Amino acid sequence: MKIEVLFPEICNLYGDLANVRYLKACLPEAEIVETSLKDEPLFARERPDLIYMGTTTERGQLLAIEALRPYREMLEAAIEEGVNFLLTGNAGEIFAREIVEEGEKVADGLCLLDFSARRKARKRYNSLYLGEFIPPEGASAAGENAAGENAAGASGSEPLKIVGFKTVFGFGYGDLADQALFTTERGYAMNPDVKYEGIRRGNLFFTYIIGPFLILNPPFTRWFIAHVLGKTGTELAYEEAAMDAYLTRLKEYSDPNTGFTY
Amino acid sequence: MKRLRFYLALWAAKLSIIALKITRHNGTNFPGIVALKICPDFLWQVKKPARVIGITGTNGKTTVCNLAIDMFKADGIAVLNNSLGSNIHTGLATSFVLGTGIFGGLKYDTAVLEMDERSAPLTFPAIKPDWLLINNLTRDSIMRNGHPEYIARILTEEMPSATKLLLNGDDLIASSIAPDNERKYFGIKSLDTDVTDCINLVNDLRICPRCSSLLKYTQRRYHHIGKAYCPTCGFKSPQCDYEGQNADLEQMTIEIAERDGSVFCYRLLNDSVFNIYNVVAIVALFRELCYSRERIAELLQKIEIVKSRFDVKELGDFRIIKQMSKDRNSLGTSRAFDYVSGRPGDKELILMMNNLSDSRHWSENVCWLYDADFEFLNRENIKNIVVTGPRAKDYYLRLKMAGIDDSRISFAEHELDAPGKLKLAGKTDIYILYGTDSITLCNQVAARIENEIRERGERA
Repeated sequence: MKIEVLFPEICNLYGDLANVRYLKACLPEAEIVETSLKDEPLFARERPDLIYMGTTTERGQLLAIEALRPYREMLEAAIEEGVNFLLTGNAGEIFAREIVEEGEKVADGLCLLDFSARRKARKRYNSLYLGEFIPPEGASAAGENAAGENAAGASGSEPLKIVGFKTVFGFGYGDLADQALFTTERGYAMNPDVKYEGIRRGNLFFTYIIGPFLILNPPFTRWFIAHVLGKTGTELAYEEAAMDAYLTRLKEYSDPNTGFTY
Repeated sequence: MKRLRFYLALWAAKLSIIALKITRHNGTNFPGIVALKICPDFLWQVKKPARVIGITGTNGKTTVCNLAIDMFKADGIAVLNNSLGSNIHTGLATSFVLGTGIFGGLKYDTAVLEMDERSAPLTFPAIKPDWLLINNLTRDSIMRNGHPEYIARILTEEMPSATKLLLNGDDLIASSIAPDNERKYFGIKSLDTDVTDCINLVNDLRICPRCSSLLKYTQRRYHHIGKAYCPTCGFKSPQCDYEGQNADLEQMTIEIAERDGSVFCYRLLNDSVFNIYNVVAIVALFRELCYSRERIAELLQKIEIVKSRFDVKELGDFRIIKQMSKDRNSLGTSRAFDYVSGRPGDKELILMMNNLSDSRHWSENVCWLYDADFEFLNRENIKNIVVTGPRAKDYYLRLKMAGIDDSRISFAEHELDAPGKLKLAGKTDIYILYGTDSITLCNQVAARIENEIRERGERA
């Protein structure tokens, strides 16, 4: 199994790269291939099992767009073929139609995801995030663990609760309800006018949620490893500790007295 | 009318100080809030000292600021400062309220102000420092500060054109700020602990700011702090005007070379790399203020690092060490971890850097834990790590990710119960790593550790 990490020298903010370290801990056989800005991407030569990109700076977004622009058609083909992508934080904006700051277009994106990223220059939108992921038909809810139970300890295909953090300069705008990744219960969604958060196009998963998303969401991670990466029965690394922290956080975030925006 | 409003603001703010004293409230920001509420351009209107020195950056600005104030004090000069208040515009306003007489006259010729880097848009238009010292720009609160490039952009956009900059030349992010401003650089030539490859999780300057090629570091202290060049376009770290060399951590001295080739030896106040930089920064600042090398060396003999940030108490076989480790700040935490883990002898740690304010109002964003080098704590001589407080389970998970075995991790739900989880087996240094809003709690924990040591001693 090969996991390509795009531009870790710049796409590394907010602990996002811990997602890769966690996948490696869960899947010790996985080979992590780091692609730098000036390298030819692995996906240009072969099909990785997962392409990951994390949050970057605003300048980093421009550099990443320019680095990927020559491979835009290859990326389009890879998405169409069902290659797995995981984009966290503002990495998804690189794949968007455009990036707009204070009403002025800063860059044309790769036009692989049909939305416009609009941001403020000096405004931070911070929130906790609580949402839901509904696994597609035919996939068990949490991905079964070695003991045949799903992560929440329940059976069946119930929606998975998602917890995390959003801290962004802006939002994504587009008619994307049919490609929604998560349904938002509390916290900032894709933008203030909608309830969905993130995009799923084929096997491309994008969420604005930052940081160690996979570590914070063991039920989703188990599902992702089983049903997206095809490694069923994989035991998550530090599963007990991760579940304990997850359930504590879920309880906190479900408490109506917990403030959500900062 | 404008002036009348200013005086009303000043008097109301001064009255609020008296009211706070009578009611025994702390409110270090409150008088400034009152002043700015009544007179929004209070900071513009208030008289400024002839010499204003600003100190900003991500880590260590409080320490550098305190050192600068103490240097002046040792030299017999009282300076207007905000060491008792906050470093944002309301705290600065409070300092000016205190430093201004009831008729608007100023009591000081010099100000040394710690200035929050993120608040530059609110402070720099009104208070234009003659000198601004920037000791570093690194990751800080994700929610507030985003990333260092963002802060560098804000500082560059807001920098008063006449402000002279004193920059850490070993920080290519800080040294890039406001390129049109007059500037001097300070740095450290080399240290025995230098590396070339980054051993930290975070390195915020891996690519050349000019051509985006991967940079090569010839010396690296930590993260992106060090000396680098670009093999593609020739970009390189600036030459320092004040450069530390031959740091002697036994004698606690450092030589500082200047551009004219002169070299002078100064006292170090602490052996951490952070604090070596702080001393070099202070020497550079006072040299730029036309102090002689000899006088600076004399003054450095008379000052110490404020104990609220690092304090040691010995109790028999044990030393209780309070080590501030800024919460929500991955780099500051990594530095603290690196320092603590590198000390000789057996250690036990209490990790209580939870942001208590966040815990009260919402729930702390813990992403920074995954930028911080918890891996440094995976060392044999760290015998026990007590995780505690609202985010204890997150700390536990992070320690597991760092490869630390369960046998070396203890859990206490509340901070005050953490001392009971210490092993206290033989000669041990006990470190309490605490955040910026848990100073009082840290002192309480330290007191309980003392009790624990005494009680277990009596039982034995």
